[in-house]
Formats: sequence, structure tokens, C-alpha cells
Amino acid sequence: MKASEALEAIENYVVESKILDERRAIAVTDLARYRDALFALKNKDVRHVSTITGIDAGEDIAVIYHLHCGGSLLNLKVMVPKKDPRLRTVTDIFPGAALYEREVMEMLGVTFEGHPDPSRIFLPDDWKEGHPLRKGWKK
Amino acid sequence: MTFVVPIGPQHPALLEPEHFRFEVRGEEIIDVKIRLGYMHRGIERGLMDRTYYQGLYLAERICGICSHAHNLCFSQTVERLAGVEIPDRARYIRTIVAELERIHSHLLWAGVAAHEIGFITLFMLFWRDREHVQDLLEMISGNRCYYSMCAIGGTRRDMRPEHLPKIDRGLKVLEKATKHYVSVATSDRTILARCENIGVLTKQDARNFCAVGPHARASGVDVDMRRDDPYAAYAEIPFGVVTQSEGDVFARVVVRLREVLEAIGIIRHALDKMPTGPIRTRVRAKIPPNEATSRVEAPRGELLHFGISNGTEKPERWRVRPPTYANIPSLVPMFVGGTIAEIPIVLASIDPCMCCTDRVTIVDVTTGKSRILTMEELRRMAR
Repeated sequence: MKASEALEAIENYVVESKILDERRAIAVTDLARYRDALFALKNKDVRHVSTITGIDAGEDIAVIYHLHCGGSLLNLKVMVPKKDPRLRTVTDIFPGAALYEREVMEMLGVTFEGHPDPSRIFLPDDWKEGHPLRKGWKK
Repeated sequence: MTFVVPIGPQHPALLEPEHFRFEVRGEEIIDVKIRLGYMHRGIERGLMDRTYYQGLYLAERICGICSHAHNLCFSQTVERLAGVEIPDRARYIRTIVAELERIHSHLLWAGVAAHEIGFITLFMLFWRDREHVQDLLEMISGNRCYYSMCAIGGTRRDMRPEHLPKIDRGLKVLEKATKHYVSVATSDRTILARCENIGVLTKQDARNFCAVGPHARASGVDVDMRRDDPYAAYAEIPFGVVTQSEGDVFARVVVRLREVLEAIGIIRHALDKMPTGPIRTRVRAKIPPNEATSRVEAPRGELLHFGISNGTEKPERWRVRPPTYANIPSLVPMFVGGTIAEIPIVLASIDPCMCCTDRVTIVDVTTGKSRILTMEELRRMAR
């Protein structure tokens, strides 16, 4: 699938989108529609989530789904407010995303509701508090 | 009645720590839970606190076996962020080193796998022949590991004309040896008995659990970043993507050995068509705000680096997703239904690259008594 075809599949569910080149596209969606966008991609036989990245963007936390769409890579971004950092899991759509969601949960303090196993993955058992990839975090 | 067998953080298959809790009934594995992070070094945060030029060397140290893959992927991401095209000769040199690294990594893995099934002679032979490719890498880069070949904007070293006949000789030896190993691996009774129908991952599971690399290709998933997202000189070089449909440990052995042969073909073609010219372009230290993703087919599969620049000489955010991380979820269906004796080879078959020592505790959940096994005891049980 070319980058333009990947964006076509999700055009009804995005706030903005941009084709960087034949093999790269980026899109921004919102909390209400990101799962619809992912379902639409799954219907186009996209099965591979390369990874999920969490970014501390000041007021919000950006959660980026890197999706391998055949011949192209789509970065689908959804902004989650830092005051209430919750969104629904996508492990029911892409089971392979389970570990990546757990990582974003502990590193940035975003809760993925409905995750089958929201336990820690990288941080030690005796880790007290704080999320190491948040901007204000200090040792 | 089921028992829980915790394995790790010291690890039975390789010298790296992670933790598995196997729930077993008799010998059969019912369920498995995985815990990582014993070697988490905070590298993503470390990369954000360093300049791109410093980060290049830190990124390389993410992995000792596939250091060039990280080196290459980091450089490519920075070049994309800066919007720089690198010289053609540098693209070819990067490709050659990447394929030499693949040969070394696959032969190293084949040796480890032979060791796990108790075939020590074959382990020695694989590692003996791996020395040939190590010599070539040392000759080209000056190092046996951490080659540091990529610079941001090209490569750090050029290849010299006197290297070519030596590479040619080395590749001939490797080709002959690998062909012999393919015939040994596909006919030897011990290997077949320990690898066929063991640790099976179906194509559907491989896709659902987002498996990558030779591990996914051995389950019939036709995916290879060199073809699907071409980088360096791969778009100009003809090569085959090796797949097998069986999805067992044996298929993973065959895929990796046949990939060594493909890699030899790629290196020969790249040497033949290598353009002349400069090897590096200048990239300014400060990179304007941008974001870029780059992917590389590392020896273990798809490696992803994602970077965001902010106009300074340091990145705003850097994300690394190495291939073994992507392959961990697909371990669960491979273990479930198998036996304890299969654990070392099934785990080794994804070519895990974390970090390890050698104790296994077997806990009887009903009495709470535990017994610690050494690596040697576990290996003996596994034979």
C-alpha cells in the first residue's frame, strides 16, 4: 500500500494528514476517532504495528502509532490531555501492541483502559513514582 | 495440578537477563508470562540529552551484535531530519557492512542454536567459519565489533582497492561452508529431531503478534525492510526474500542459513557496481524542527528509529524499537503446548538479543519448596 492509499483509508477519521513521500505519511486524529481509524486500516489488511511512541508535548501527551502499511509507514498521532491521560487500548485490534502500550503506561503515565495485562514491563518492581520520559522527571 | 517454573532474570538460552514464569502441568507448558527491563539503560533519554554526533556512538552501543544496524538507522534518521542526501558510494559501503554483519550474526546464532540442542561440534564449526567474516569486518572497519562505519552524512571510512580480493576470497570460503551447513542442517537426524515441529508459530499468529525478521519469514510472512522500505543501496540490488512456511525452529534455521547465501550475493553485487566518489557530505550540527522515521532490516528483523528535532543540536525525542522487542509477544504461542525441555531452543530460535546468566528456579506451588538449577543442569535436562 502506498502512503496515499493508507491516508485514503482513514480520511474520515483524521484532523490533518500529510504525505511526506511515497513511503511515509503522517496523520493526526483525535480521541473520539483513533480506534475507527485503526479499524479502517485493519480492514485494509494492515496487521503490523511497528511500535507506539509516547511524547511529552507540554499540555498533552502525544501517542503515535507507527503502522506498517505494506510498502509504506504511517505515523498516526493522537493527543491525550495530561490532566486526564486515559485512552482505550488497541490490543483488541492489534494484539501485537500489548508490550508497547505497557511501556507508554509506565514511561509516560498514560492509562490504556481495557489492557489485558497492565503490569510493569521495564521499570523495577520497587519503582516508587514518577514517569521517566515526562519532561519534569528528575532522578 | 500445575507448577510454576520461573526462569530468569538469568536466562537459559543466551547471556542476557529477562524473566519468564512458565505454568506447567507435568512437562507440558500451559501458560507463560514475560517480564523485561533487567538491562534497561535509559538510552532513549540518554539520546535526548546528547548531540546528534554524540548520539551516533551511543545508539551504536544499544547492541553489540547488530551495532551497524543501529548506527545505520540512527544516521538515516538524522539525515532525514536534516533533509540531506548522502553520496552514492557511502550508500554502497553501508550496504556491504550491513550484509557482512548479517552473515556474522546469523552464523553466531546458528552456533548458539547448535549449542542449545547439544550439538557442540557444529557449534564449534559455525563459530570457526564466522571468524572469516569477522576478519573481513575488521579489515574494512578496524573493529571486530562496534564497526562505527556510518558518519552522519555518509561513512567514516572508505573501502580500499586492496580489500576487494580479500573480500572475494573470504566470501568464497563462507559460501562453500554455508552450502555445506544447509545440507547438514536439512539432513542430520539430530537436528531434525530437535527442531522439526518444535516451537511452531503459525502465519496468522506471526502477523497478529507483529513478529519481524527471519522469525516472521520462517512462518511464511513475506516481510523484509530491505525490499518494503528500501534504504542504503538495496533498491538497486536484486536479491530474494527467503521465506519458509512451516513456522517451526527448523524453518528458522533454514531461513537464516539461506539468508547468509543471499547476503553473499548482495555483497558481490554491491562490490561489482560500487560507484566512485566522495563518501561523506557535511551535515550541520543544528537541525531545524522536523520529525522522521527510519527503518532498517537488522539481522533480527525490523529496527525502527524515530526522531524529533527542535532546531538545536540535540533531539527533542528519540524512539528506538529493536527487533527482539517486537518478537517477544509471539513467544507465548510458541511455548504453550510445548515441554520444558524445549524452552532453551525455542527461546534461542527467535535469536533474542537482550542481555544473562544461568539459574532456573523450579517452585512447587503446593508446597512452596524451590530448587535452583544451574545452566548446566537445565541443558542436561534439555538433551
